Amino acid sequence: MQYALLIYEDESVYGDGWNEAMQDVIGRHVAFGQKNGPAIRGGQGLHRTAQATTVRTTGGQQSLHDGPFAETREQLGGFYIVEATDLDEAIAIARQIPIAKDGAVEVRPVMPAPEGAAG
Amino acid sequence: MPLADGPLGAVHRAVASRVVAALATRFRDLDLAEEGYAEALAKAAARWSDGAPANTEGWLYRTAERAILDRLRRRAVRQRHAAAEQPLLHEEEEEDETMLDTALIPDERLRLIFVCCHPALSDEARIALTLKTVCRLGTVEIARAFLVPEPTVAQRLVRAKRKIAEAGVPFEVPGPQLWAERLEAVLATIEIAYAQAHEDGAGSGRHAGFGPEMLGLTRLLAELLPDEHEVLALAATIHFAEARRPARIDPAGAMVPLAEQDPDEWDRVLIARGDALLRRGFALRSESVRLLKAGIHAAWCRRRSLAEPAPWSKVLALYDGLLRLRDDPFVRLNRAVALAEVASPDAALAEVAALDEERMEAYLPYHAVKADLLRRTGETALAAEPYAAALALAPPAAEAAWLRGRLVECT
Repeated sequence: MQYALLIYEDESVYGDGWNEAMQDVIGRHVAFGQKNGPAIRGGQGLHRTAQATTVRTTGGQQSLHDGPFAETREQLGGFYIVEATDLDEAIAIARQIPIAKDGAVEVRPVMPAPEGAAG
Repeated sequence: MPLADGPLGAVHRAVASRVVAALATRFRDLDLAEEGYAEALAKAAARWSDGAPANTEGWLYRTAERAILDRLRRRAVRQRHAAAEQPLLHEEEEEDETMLDTALIPDERLRLIFVCCHPALSDEARIALTLKTVCRLGTVEIARAFLVPEPTVAQRLVRAKRKIAEAGVPFEVPGPQLWAERLEAVLATIEIAYAQAHEDGAGSGRHAGFGPEMLGLTRLLAELLPDEHEVLALAATIHFAEARRPARIDPAGAMVPLAEQDPDEWDRVLIARGDALLRRGFALRSESVRLLKAGIHAAWCRRRSLAEPAPWSKVLALYDGLLRLRDDPFVRLNRAVALAEVASPDAALAEVAALDEERMEAYLPYHAVKADLLRRTGETALAAEPYAAALALAPPAAEAAWLRGRLVECT
């Protein structure tokens, strides 16, 4: 099964961009990637939510908003897609994901792509 | 299910959890297991009228297995792609009554318990699923026990089963790395469920039949995991607590405090079983929170009659031991009750006064103990307020009756 591991942290710990916390966590992500290489199918870090634009559809009408879809205390800052035999294995990988200070990793099973769909 | 009430009801209750566990782990699907088992039961009702087969369990398992394979086959035919690629399962298998009679099925109940109590499920989902799947309680009974509408329980069960299927909760006994955490989730599930069953002193009200189910579940777990001291300790505690159930309520329906319960009314068979479990637990480990808590129950249950002095100093020593392992305001409160007997109500009152009032506010025993200590130090007028505070927390009927009795004495 595939799982998305969604990483939520208070992005302010990383300052405006390149600070020590960021440098440190990136090093740990590299180590995490090396250790769990065979399971990892993909994943990326995301720029700050200040750089986000949200396309919202309400009653068939679309509008654009500056910022993330919702203001939350912690923000989605990156994700991995991993292959695991079951939830326990996925959780074991999620536990190793580096977090700068406080944060959470959401483990979400990925829907199998319908036949004929790309990917 | 009409069969459950009929002459086959006893067979059904005895083997259901084993058969469903074997089916669930074989097909890794709780719904399929339940559906297949229901079909097998219906067939049994029709066929066993002339007498049940020697191995009812094996018969039910094989019949259910066949029903499930049929369902899977029909499902595969509907999804034509899959059907073309997959060989049909067991197409050639003919019904063979002799095989049905001798087939032995593996005991997979431990795996089933770990599935139902997976920490990825919410507490209430775990409790509902365990009671339904392992203890074989009906949705109506579970709803009654937790004072929630039946559709709420049904919905919890559907959601839990869906999460197990879609999130890939493993149908396995966890390995050594996850063992401690997963076993703790199982024990916590049973503890929360039992606390709710135990809360109602009468046991004849909404939780009727629920305590005994918990008893059965912990006995099973102790059988399956004989080397886990925490399992043995919890099983012992529930045995001791259930043993005292007949004495927990007076003829007028009011709660009877532990020290005033007549040991003559306690169930000596359950106490002996609890003692045996606890001895095994202490043989494996000298102390743990659960072992010491069970030890306190055991100390009480050793009392033979009301003429015999209550074991307060032994109980106090055990609470001291508990506090050494983990400082906890709820343990301190219970310790104060013993301290009042061994030292004085004044000493106990000082201990209770030192507790964080805000944290204890919603905890009924806090107010009840405080009121009782005030009453005993002669501050009868001051005791009325905490008695009223305890009553305001909506206790079960038997406890409310007792509290009202005390409140009347104070005013």
